Amino acid sequence: MTPDELDALLGAYALDALDEDERREVEAYLAVNPRARAEVETHREVATLMAFGGAPAPEGLWDRIAESLESRAPQPGPELARVLPVRRRRWPTAVLIGVAAAAAIAAAAVTVAVVRDPSPPPSAIDGMAQVFDQAMSDPDSTRIVLSNEDSSQRAVAVVQPGGLGVISLRSLPDLGPERTYQLWGVIDEEVISLGVLGPRPGVEPFTVEGDLTALVLTDEAAGGVTASEQPALLSGTVA
Amino acid sequence: MRDSFSDVSDAALVLAIARYHQEALAEAYRRHAGAVFGLARRLLGDQALAEEIVQEVFLRLWNDPDRFDPLRGSLRSYLLAHTHGRAVDALRSEGSRRAREERDARRTAEGGYDVEHEVWDLATADQVRRSMRRLPDGERVAIEMAYFGGYTYREVAGRLGEPEGTIKSRIRSGLKRLRSELAIAGISVGED
Repeated sequence: MTPDELDALLGAYALDALDEDERREVEAYLAVNPRARAEVETHREVATLMAFGGAPAPEGLWDRIAESLESRAPQPGPELARVLPVRRRRWPTAVLIGVAAAAAIAAAAVTVAVVRDPSPPPSAIDGMAQVFDQAMSDPDSTRIVLSNEDSSQRAVAVVQPGGLGVISLRSLPDLGPERTYQLWGVIDEEVISLGVLGPRPGVEPFTVEGDLTALVLTDEAAGGVTASEQPALLSGTVA
Repeated sequence: MRDSFSDVSDAALVLAIARYHQEALAEAYRRHAGAVFGLARRLLGDQALAEEIVQEVFLRLWNDPDRFDPLRGSLRSYLLAHTHGRAVDALRSEGSRRAREERDARRTAEGGYDVEHEVWDLATADQVRRSMRRLPDGERVAIEMAYFGGYTYREVAGRLGEPEGTIKSRIRSGLKRLRSELAIAGISVGED
Protein backbone atom coordinates (compact mmCIF):
# COMPACT_ATOMS: atom_id res chain seq x y z
CA MET A 1 0.00 0.00 0.00
CA THR A 2 1.10 3.56 -0.59
CA PRO A 3 1.48 6.03 2.30
CA ASP A 4 -1.75 7.72 1.24
CA GLU A 5 -3.60 4.41 1.29
CA LEU A 6 -2.17 3.62 4.71
CA ASP A 7 -3.11 7.07 6.00
CA ALA A 8 -6.67 6.45 4.87
CA LEU A 9 -6.81 3.42 7.17
CA LEU A 10 -5.67 5.21 10.33
CA GLY A 11 -9.17 5.99 11.56
CA ALA A 12 -10.36 2.42 11.09
CA TYR A 13 -7.18 1.16 12.71
CA ALA A 14 -7.82 3.29 15.79
CA LEU A 15 -11.25 1.68 16.11
CA ASP A 16 -9.84 -1.85 15.77
CA ALA A 17 -11.79 -2.07 12.52
CA LEU A 18 -9.18 -3.53 10.18
CA ASP A 19 -8.69 -7.06 8.94
CA GLU A 20 -5.63 -8.81 10.29
CA ASP A 21 -3.50 -8.30 7.16
CA GLU A 22 -4.26 -4.60 6.95
CA ARG A 23 -3.67 -4.19 10.68
CA ARG A 24 -0.17 -5.63 10.31
CA GLU A 25 0.61 -3.32 7.40
CA VAL A 26 -0.57 -0.29 9.31
CA GLU A 27 1.44 -1.26 12.37
CA ALA A 28 4.59 -1.56 10.29
CA TYR A 29 3.84 1.89 8.90
CA LEU A 30 3.25 3.33 12.35
CA ALA A 31 6.57 1.96 13.56
CA VAL A 32 8.42 4.35 11.24
CA ASN A 33 6.00 7.25 11.02
CA PRO A 34 5.60 9.43 14.12
CA ARG A 35 3.01 11.65 12.45
CA ALA A 36 0.77 8.68 11.71
CA ARG A 37 1.29 7.39 15.25
CA ALA A 38 0.22 10.73 16.67
CA GLU A 39 -2.87 10.71 14.48
CA VAL A 40 -3.84 7.23 15.69
CA GLU A 41 -3.33 8.23 19.30
CA THR A 42 -5.60 11.21 18.84
CA HIS A 43 -8.25 9.10 17.10
CA ARG A 44 -8.10 6.60 19.95
CA GLU A 45 -8.47 9.30 22.56
CA VAL A 46 -11.50 10.64 20.72
CA ALA A 47 -12.97 7.16 20.32
CA THR A 48 -12.58 6.24 23.95
CA LEU A 49 -14.39 9.41 24.97
CA MET A 50 -17.45 7.84 23.36
CA ALA A 51 -17.22 5.08 25.94
CA PHE A 52 -17.15 7.39 28.94
CA GLY A 53 -19.89 6.70 31.40
CA GLY A 54 -20.59 3.04 31.60
CA ALA A 55 -22.21 1.13 34.41
CA PRO A 56 -21.19 0.27 37.95
CA ALA A 57 -18.80 -2.66 37.92
CA PRO A 58 -20.40 -5.84 39.26
CA GLU A 59 -20.08 -6.59 42.93
CA GLY A 60 -17.39 -9.07 43.79
CA LEU A 61 -15.37 -8.44 40.64
CA TRP A 62 -12.67 -6.49 42.45
CA ASP A 63 -12.35 -9.31 44.98
CA ARG A 64 -11.66 -11.74 42.16
CA ILE A 65 -9.04 -9.41 40.69
CA ALA A 66 -7.41 -8.91 44.09
CA GLU A 67 -7.19 -12.68 44.56
CA SER A 68 -5.48 -12.98 41.17
CA LEU A 69 -2.92 -10.37 42.21
CA GLU A 70 -1.90 -12.46 45.17
CA SER A 71 -1.49 -15.60 43.11
CA ARG A 72 0.39 -13.76 40.38
CA ALA A 73 2.67 -11.66 42.52
CA PRO A 74 5.80 -11.02 40.47
CA GLN A 75 8.98 -12.57 41.78
CA PRO A 76 12.17 -10.56 42.12
CA GLY A 77 14.49 -10.95 39.18
CA PRO A 78 18.03 -12.32 39.33
CA GLU A 79 19.87 -9.04 39.17
CA LEU A 80 19.91 -6.28 41.66
CA ALA A 81 18.77 -3.51 39.41
CA ARG A 82 16.29 -1.39 41.26
CA VAL A 83 14.92 -1.37 44.71
CA LEU A 84 11.35 -2.16 45.40
CA PRO A 85 10.39 -0.45 48.60
CA VAL A 86 6.82 -1.61 48.79
CA ARG A 87 7.36 -5.34 48.97
CA ARG A 88 10.72 -5.24 50.60
CA ARG A 89 11.33 -7.02 53.84
CA ARG A 90 12.18 -4.55 56.51
CA TRP A 91 14.96 -5.52 58.80
CA PRO A 92 16.35 -3.25 61.48
CA THR A 93 19.57 -1.55 60.53
CA ALA A 94 22.70 -2.71 62.23
CA VAL A 95 23.33 0.84 63.22
CA LEU A 96 20.30 3.07 63.51
CA ILE A 97 20.98 6.32 61.84
CA GLY A 98 19.16 9.29 63.24
CA VAL A 99 18.02 12.26 61.32
CA ALA A 100 20.97 14.32 62.42
CA ALA A 101 23.38 11.64 61.27
CA ALA A 102 21.76 11.17 57.91
CA ALA A 103 24.73 12.75 56.16
CA ALA A 104 26.33 9.32 56.03
CA ILE A 105 24.92 5.83 55.93
CA ALA A 106 28.05 3.78 56.32
CA ALA A 107 27.44 0.14 57.08
CA ALA A 108 23.70 0.47 57.13
CA ALA A 109 22.31 -3.04 56.73
CA VAL A 110 19.32 -2.78 54.50
CA THR A 111 17.60 -5.60 52.71
CA VAL A 112 16.15 -4.85 49.34
CA ALA A 113 14.16 -6.54 46.66
CA VAL A 114 14.23 -6.00 42.94
CA VAL A 115 11.73 -4.42 40.61
CA ARG A 116 11.13 -5.62 37.14
CA ASP A 117 12.39 -2.82 34.95
CA PRO A 118 15.81 -1.32 35.53
CA SER A 119 15.47 1.51 33.05
CA PRO A 120 12.17 3.18 32.28
CA PRO A 121 11.63 4.21 28.67
CA PRO A 122 12.18 7.88 27.73
CA SER A 123 8.46 8.50 27.53
CA ALA A 124 8.10 7.30 31.10
CA ILE A 125 10.80 9.72 32.19
CA ASP A 126 8.87 12.59 30.62
CA GLY A 127 5.78 11.28 32.36
CA MET A 128 7.61 11.32 35.66
CA ALA A 129 8.57 14.94 35.09
CA GLN A 130 4.89 15.63 34.68
CA VAL A 131 4.14 13.79 37.91
CA PHE A 132 6.88 15.77 39.66
CA ASP A 133 5.35 19.06 38.54
CA GLN A 134 1.91 17.93 39.67
CA ALA A 135 3.25 16.82 43.04
CA MET A 136 5.07 20.11 43.54
CA SER A 137 1.85 22.00 42.99
CA ASP A 138 0.00 19.87 45.56
CA PRO A 139 -0.15 21.89 48.79
CA ASP A 140 -0.48 18.69 50.82
CA SER A 141 2.81 17.28 49.54
CA THR A 142 5.98 17.22 51.61
CA ARG A 143 9.04 18.82 49.98
CA ILE A 144 12.57 17.85 50.89
CA VAL A 145 15.62 19.73 49.69
CA LEU A 146 18.74 17.60 49.57
CA SER A 147 22.12 19.28 49.44
CA ASN A 148 25.82 18.59 49.98
CA GLU A 149 27.86 20.11 52.76
CA ASP A 150 28.61 23.42 51.05
CA SER A 151 25.20 23.54 49.35
CA SER A 152 26.85 23.69 45.93
CA GLN A 153 24.69 20.79 44.74
CA ARG A 154 21.01 20.37 45.40
CA ALA A 155 18.12 18.12 44.53
CA VAL A 156 14.44 18.40 45.33
CA ALA A 157 12.14 15.58 46.35
CA VAL A 158 8.43 15.77 46.91
CA VAL A 159 6.30 13.13 48.63
CA GLN A 160 2.56 13.10 48.13
CA PRO A 161 0.12 12.23 50.93
CA GLY A 162 -0.32 8.68 49.64
CA GLY A 163 3.41 8.04 49.98
CA LEU A 164 4.37 8.37 46.33
CA GLY A 165 7.56 10.38 46.02
CA VAL A 166 9.38 11.91 43.08
CA ILE A 167 12.90 13.29 43.11
CA SER A 168 14.42 15.57 40.51
CA LEU A 169 18.13 15.09 40.02
CA ARG A 170 18.45 16.91 36.75
CA SER A 171 21.26 19.15 37.95
CA LEU A 172 23.60 16.34 38.97
CA PRO A 173 26.48 15.10 36.79
CA ASP A 174 26.55 11.89 34.79
CA LEU A 175 28.36 9.22 36.81
CA GLY A 176 29.25 7.06 33.81
CA PRO A 177 28.35 3.46 33.09
CA GLU A 178 30.13 1.94 36.09
CA ARG A 179 28.31 3.94 38.78
CA THR A 180 24.78 4.76 39.86
CA TYR A 181 22.95 7.12 42.14
CA GLN A 182 21.05 5.37 44.92
CA LEU A 183 18.37 6.95 47.10
CA TRP A 184 17.89 6.02 50.75
CA GLY A 185 15.23 7.03 53.22
CA VAL A 186 15.27 7.11 56.98
CA ILE A 187 11.84 5.71 57.72
CA ASP A 188 10.65 4.75 61.18
CA GLU A 189 14.30 4.83 62.28
CA GLU A 190 15.37 2.35 59.64
CA VAL A 191 17.50 3.12 56.60
CA ILE A 192 15.68 1.85 53.58
CA SER A 193 16.87 1.83 50.01
CA LEU A 194 14.28 3.67 47.97
CA GLY A 195 15.75 3.14 44.55
CA VAL A 196 18.77 2.62 42.32
CA LEU A 197 18.40 5.61 40.04
CA GLY A 198 20.98 5.03 37.34
CA PRO A 199 24.06 7.07 36.41
CA ARG A 200 22.22 10.11 35.12
CA PRO A 201 18.73 10.19 36.44
CA GLY A 202 16.33 12.94 35.55
CA VAL A 203 13.17 12.59 37.55
CA GLU A 204 12.64 9.35 39.43
CA PRO A 205 9.74 7.97 41.46
CA PHE A 206 9.91 6.22 44.79
CA THR A 207 7.44 5.22 47.44
CA VAL A 208 7.47 5.72 51.16
CA GLU A 209 5.61 3.72 53.75
CA GLY A 210 5.89 5.01 57.26
CA ASP A 211 7.30 8.09 58.87
CA LEU A 212 9.97 9.54 56.60
CA THR A 213 12.45 11.75 58.38
CA ALA A 214 15.31 12.09 55.89
CA LEU A 215 16.50 11.30 52.39
CA VAL A 216 20.09 10.53 51.44
CA LEU A 217 21.66 10.11 48.01
CA THR A 218 24.80 8.07 47.47
CA ASP A 219 27.10 7.16 44.58
CA GLU A 220 27.33 3.37 44.26
CA ALA A 221 28.64 0.73 41.88
CA ALA A 222 26.28 0.13 38.95
CA GLY A 223 23.40 -2.08 40.00
CA GLY A 224 23.21 -0.64 43.49
CA VAL A 225 24.00 -2.14 46.86
CA THR A 226 22.04 -3.59 49.72
CA ALA A 227 24.13 -1.76 52.31
CA SER A 228 26.03 1.39 51.52
CA GLU A 229 29.49 2.19 52.69
CA GLN A 230 29.65 5.44 50.79
CA PRO A 231 29.36 8.93 52.24
CA ALA A 232 26.26 10.86 51.36
CA LEU A 233 26.43 12.98 48.25
CA LEU A 234 23.31 14.87 49.25
CA SER A 235 21.00 14.66 52.21
CA GLY A 236 17.97 16.45 53.49
CA THR A 237 15.55 16.18 56.36
CA VAL A 238 11.80 16.57 56.50
CA ALA A 239 10.99 19.90 58.07
CA MET B 1 1.12 10.26 55.72
CA ARG B 2 -2.28 9.11 54.51
CA ASP B 3 -2.51 5.64 53.04
CA SER B 4 -5.18 6.57 50.56
CA PHE B 5 -4.46 7.17 46.88
CA SER B 6 -7.74 8.95 46.38
CA ASP B 7 -6.12 12.34 45.85
CA VAL B 8 -3.32 11.43 43.46
CA SER B 9 -3.36 11.77 39.68
CA ASP B 10 -3.83 8.81 37.38
CA ALA B 11 -0.21 9.07 36.24
CA ALA B 12 0.96 8.93 39.85
CA LEU B 13 -1.34 5.99 40.47
CA VAL B 14 0.33 4.03 37.70
CA LEU B 15 3.76 4.79 39.11
CA ALA B 16 2.55 3.43 42.45
CA ILE B 17 1.15 0.37 40.70
CA ALA B 18 4.59 -0.16 39.19
CA ARG B 19 5.84 -0.29 42.77
CA TYR B 20 3.27 -2.99 43.56
CA HIS B 21 0.89 -0.82 45.54
CA GLN B 22 -2.29 -2.87 45.40
CA GLU B 23 -4.19 0.05 46.92
CA ALA B 24 -3.23 2.12 43.88
CA LEU B 25 -4.69 -0.49 41.56
CA ALA B 26 -7.82 -0.55 43.70
CA GLU B 27 -8.12 3.19 43.28
CA ALA B 28 -7.65 2.91 39.50
CA TYR B 29 -10.36 0.25 39.52
CA ARG B 30 -12.65 2.48 41.56
CA ARG B 31 -12.19 5.31 39.08
CA HIS B 32 -12.40 3.44 35.80
CA ALA B 33 -13.89 -0.04 36.19
CA GLY B 34 -17.39 1.20 35.50
CA ALA B 35 -16.40 2.65 32.13
CA VAL B 36 -14.36 -0.43 31.26
CA PHE B 37 -17.19 -2.76 32.20
CA GLY B 38 -19.76 -0.60 30.38
CA LEU B 39 -17.79 -0.68 27.14
CA ALA B 40 -17.07 -4.41 27.35
CA ARG B 41 -20.70 -5.26 28.05
CA ARG B 42 -21.90 -2.98 25.30
CA LEU B 43 -19.63 -4.64 22.77
CA LEU B 44 -20.11 -8.20 23.93
CA GLY B 45 -23.68 -8.13 25.18
CA ASP B 46 -22.65 -10.68 27.78
CA GLN B 47 -22.15 -9.97 31.47
CA ALA B 48 -19.78 -12.86 32.18
CA LEU B 49 -17.56 -12.14 29.18
CA ALA B 50 -17.50 -8.45 30.06
CA GLU B 51 -16.38 -9.27 33.59
CA GLU B 52 -13.58 -11.39 32.18
CA ILE B 53 -12.43 -8.48 30.06
CA VAL B 54 -12.46 -6.13 33.06
CA GLN B 55 -10.41 -8.61 35.02
CA GLU B 56 -7.92 -9.00 32.20
CA VAL B 57 -7.58 -5.25 31.66
CA PHE B 58 -6.76 -4.51 35.29
CA LEU B 59 -4.46 -7.48 35.64
CA ARG B 60 -2.56 -6.25 32.61
CA LEU B 61 -2.23 -2.83 34.22
CA TRP B 62 -0.88 -4.53 37.34
CA ASN B 63 1.54 -6.82 35.52
CA ASP B 64 2.67 -4.37 32.84
CA PRO B 65 2.15 -0.78 33.99
CA ASP B 66 4.94 0.57 31.77
CA ARG B 67 2.67 0.15 28.77
CA PHE B 68 0.76 3.19 29.93
CA ASP B 69 2.36 6.43 28.82
CA PRO B 70 0.72 9.50 30.38
CA LEU B 71 2.00 11.66 27.53
CA ARG B 72 -0.02 9.67 25.01
CA GLY B 73 -3.39 10.03 26.70
CA SER B 74 -5.38 9.51 29.85
CA LEU B 75 -5.41 6.33 31.87
CA ARG B 76 -9.08 5.88 31.13
CA SER B 77 -8.45 6.10 27.40
CA TYR B 78 -5.61 3.61 27.71
CA LEU B 79 -7.79 1.15 29.62
CA LEU B 80 -10.72 1.61 27.27
CA ALA B 81 -8.53 1.16 24.19
CA HIS B 82 -7.30 -2.15 25.60
CA THR B 83 -10.82 -3.11 26.57
CA HIS B 84 -12.04 -2.38 23.07
CA GLY B 85 -9.27 -4.38 21.43
CA ARG B 86 -9.83 -7.41 23.63
CA ALA B 87 -13.59 -7.27 23.25
CA VAL B 88 -13.29 -7.04 19.49
CA ASP B 89 -10.91 -10.00 19.50
CA ALA B 90 -13.52 -11.95 21.42
CA LEU B 91 -16.27 -10.89 19.04
CA ARG B 92 -14.32 -11.89 15.98
CA SER B 93 -13.31 -15.27 17.25
CA GLU B 94 -15.04 -17.99 15.33
CA GLY B 95 -16.97 -19.21 18.34
CA SER B 96 -18.41 -15.78 18.97
CA ARG B 97 -19.87 -15.09 15.58
CA ARG B 98 -23.16 -16.68 16.45
CA ALA B 99 -23.22 -14.83 19.78
CA ARG B 100 -22.69 -11.56 17.94
CA GLU B 101 -25.61 -12.21 15.67
CA GLU B 102 -27.74 -12.97 18.72
CA ARG B 103 -26.49 -9.84 20.43
CA ASP B 104 -27.34 -7.75 17.38
CA ALA B 105 -30.83 -9.23 17.34
CA ARG B 106 -31.29 -8.21 20.96
CA ARG B 107 -29.97 -4.75 20.17
CA THR B 108 -32.51 -4.36 17.42
CA ALA B 109 -35.21 -5.15 19.93
CA GLU B 110 -33.67 -2.65 22.33
CA GLY B 111 -33.33 0.17 19.80
CA GLY B 112 -30.24 -0.57 17.73
CA TYR B 113 -27.17 1.62 18.06
CA ASP B 114 -28.89 4.37 19.97
CA VAL B 115 -26.21 5.81 22.22
CA GLU B 116 -28.90 7.29 24.42
CA HIS B 117 -29.62 3.83 25.77
CA GLU B 118 -26.28 3.82 27.52
CA VAL B 119 -25.63 5.10 30.96
CA TRP B 120 -23.78 8.36 30.70
CA ASP B 121 -22.68 9.26 34.16
CA LEU B 122 -20.22 11.98 33.38
CA ALA B 123 -20.60 15.47 32.05
CA THR B 124 -17.97 14.59 29.48
CA ALA B 125 -20.14 11.79 28.20
CA ASP B 126 -22.99 14.20 27.71
CA GLN B 127 -20.80 16.55 25.72
CA VAL B 128 -19.53 13.70 23.59
CA ARG B 129 -23.08 12.62 22.87
CA ARG B 130 -23.97 16.13 21.77
CA SER B 131 -20.89 16.29 19.59
CA MET B 132 -21.72 12.93 18.05
CA ARG B 133 -25.13 14.22 17.07
CA ARG B 134 -23.54 17.03 15.11
CA LEU B 135 -21.68 14.62 12.84
CA PRO B 136 -23.13 13.84 9.42
CA ASP B 137 -25.23 10.68 9.71
CA GLY B 138 -22.94 8.67 7.45
CA GLU B 139 -19.89 9.40 9.58
CA ARG B 140 -21.67 8.85 12.88
CA VAL B 141 -23.17 5.52 11.86
CA ALA B 142 -19.88 4.23 10.43
CA ILE B 143 -18.02 5.13 13.63
CA GLU B 144 -20.67 3.65 15.91
CA MET B 145 -20.91 0.41 13.96
CA ALA B 146 -17.14 0.01 13.93
CA TYR B 147 -16.54 1.06 17.52
CA PHE B 148 -19.58 -0.24 19.37
CA GLY B 149 -20.49 -2.98 16.92
CA GLY B 150 -16.97 -4.34 16.67
CA TYR B 151 -17.20 -4.61 12.89
CA THR B 152 -14.34 -4.08 10.47
CA TYR B 153 -14.82 -1.21 8.06
CA ARG B 154 -15.35 -3.80 5.32
CA GLU B 155 -18.14 -5.40 7.32
CA VAL B 156 -19.66 -1.99 7.98
CA ALA B 157 -19.56 -1.28 4.23
CA GLY B 158 -21.23 -4.60 3.51
CA ARG B 159 -23.99 -4.01 6.03
CA LEU B 160 -24.66 -0.49 4.82
CA GLY B 161 -24.28 -1.32 1.14
CA GLU B 162 -21.63 1.36 0.70
CA PRO B 163 -18.20 1.18 -0.98
CA GLU B 164 -15.41 0.18 1.39
CA GLY B 165 -13.40 3.28 0.51
CA THR B 166 -16.32 5.47 1.47
CA ILE B 167 -16.62 3.87 4.89
CA LYS B 168 -12.94 4.10 5.79
CA SER B 169 -12.95 7.75 4.69
CA ARG B 170 -16.06 8.45 6.76
CA ILE B 171 -14.53 6.87 9.84
CA ARG B 172 -11.37 8.93 9.55
CA SER B 173 -13.04 12.19 8.68
CA GLY B 174 -15.71 11.57 11.30
CA LEU B 175 -13.14 11.11 14.03
CA LYS B 176 -11.41 14.31 12.98
CA ARG B 177 -14.69 16.16 12.91
CA LEU B 178 -15.68 14.76 16.29
CA ARG B 179 -12.40 15.98 17.72
CA SER B 180 -13.15 19.48 16.40
CA GLU B 181 -16.67 19.37 17.82
CA LEU B 182 -15.31 18.28 21.17
CA ALA B 183 -12.81 21.14 21.12
CA ILE B 184 -15.66 23.57 20.55
CA ALA B 185 -17.39 22.01 23.55
CA GLY B 186 -14.24 22.57 25.61
CA ILE B 187 -12.89 19.02 25.50
CA SER B 188 -9.40 19.07 24.07
CA VAL B 189 -7.91 15.88 22.67
CA GLY B 190 -4.31 15.47 21.51
CA GLU B 191 -1.92 18.11 20.30
CA ASP B 192 -2.50 20.40 17.35
